[in-house]
Amino acid sequence: MDFPFVREAVVKLFSRPSCNNYPFTPREAAPNYRGRIVFHPETCINCNMCERVCAGGAIIHTSVKNEEGDDVITRSFDLGSCTFCSTCADFCTRHSIELTQDYHMIGIEEGDLIVSGTFIKKKPAPKPAPKPAAPAAAKEEAAAPAAPAVKPRGDGKPAQDPDKCVYCTICARKCPGEALTVDRKEKTWKLDEDKCVACGTCADVCPKNAIVI
Amino acid sequence: MFQKLIAESTAKSPWLFHINSGSCNGCDIELVAILTPRYDVERLGFKLAGSPRQADIVVVTGPVTKQSLNRVLSTISQVPEPRCIVTMGSCPQSGNVFKGSYSVCAPLSQYVHVDVDIAGCAPKPEAIIDGLAKATKILKEKRGRM
Repeated sequence: MDFPFVREAVVKLFSRPSCNNYPFTPREAAPNYRGRIVFHPETCINCNMCERVCAGGAIIHTSVKNEEGDDVITRSFDLGSCTFCSTCADFCTRHSIELTQDYHMIGIEEGDLIVSGTFIKKKPAPKPAPKPAAPAAAKEEAAAPAAPAVKPRGDGKPAQDPDKCVYCTICARKCPGEALTVDRKEKTWKLDEDKCVACGTCADVCPKNAIVI
Repeated sequence: MFQKLIAESTAKSPWLFHINSGSCNGCDIELVAILTPRYDVERLGFKLAGSPRQADIVVVTGPVTKQSLNRVLSTISQVPEPRCIVTMGSCPQSGNVFKGSYSVCAPLSQYVHVDVDIAGCAPKPEAIIDGLAKATKILKEKRGRM
């Protein structure tokens, strides 16, 4: 009679089990594993791009005015609604969102699966006095003829180069705060400074490099 | 005397019942993965039960579709008390990407009391083992109260 697996059975009897002894020996996730979200509120500029691209609608923010008139913004990520697709982190121009390798995400009480961060957004009000002098010349609509290469405004907000701009409206469509108005027929490029959060998305997407930050 | 022995033994070996309420199968595969020799939760006493009447822990996956809602609730009601309801993945907790769909009755917690949520899409098998360990603890507390 033939016993084909006797040798293997005896060898396996004395070898280590193939099971990984998980709860007793901790285990790290694979590299680039997308687990618990970590939010860095100090670098966030509240452009809301993450909320726009989130498929699961897991990201929300609340905005409260404090006594100085600044916005106190709390952005929270609901891990119980997250697909861990990392799109928010990919779209964040300031790298404020990070997906870590921590996979121990167990919720027993309400709020266990919420990651949130608070930051204060200063009011843009106290600047009208020094403003109009310098940047007015740099940021010009197409009406200004033959303006030389635009200078950066210095405050992080975009300035357009009318020589290079082809009024393709990509910047206006990509602007997370809808601060840009571009009219293709009229050849105008307008920036709403109150809405602009200086994220730099418009400069990144401009196919002609006509926007400087 | 036997009652005590039975109580101790059942506390050591909670049986799972898995309900798929319209899941994409990602979570189901991960739940099956914890029963494979690699993770082998049977060494911790967990065992997949064939009937809800024999189960202690109910694991629900999927976004609770309209068609499955009544079936899920009637299956859960057949599980004897004390029971522990575990939602697995983002779907039964919030609806995930199916949120707002006409055919999804998303958060399961609005119909039954959910004890443990395991987040992830799909959760890692280790995270599921963590969640089930928490569920076992909750089950023990519930037994103590009865």
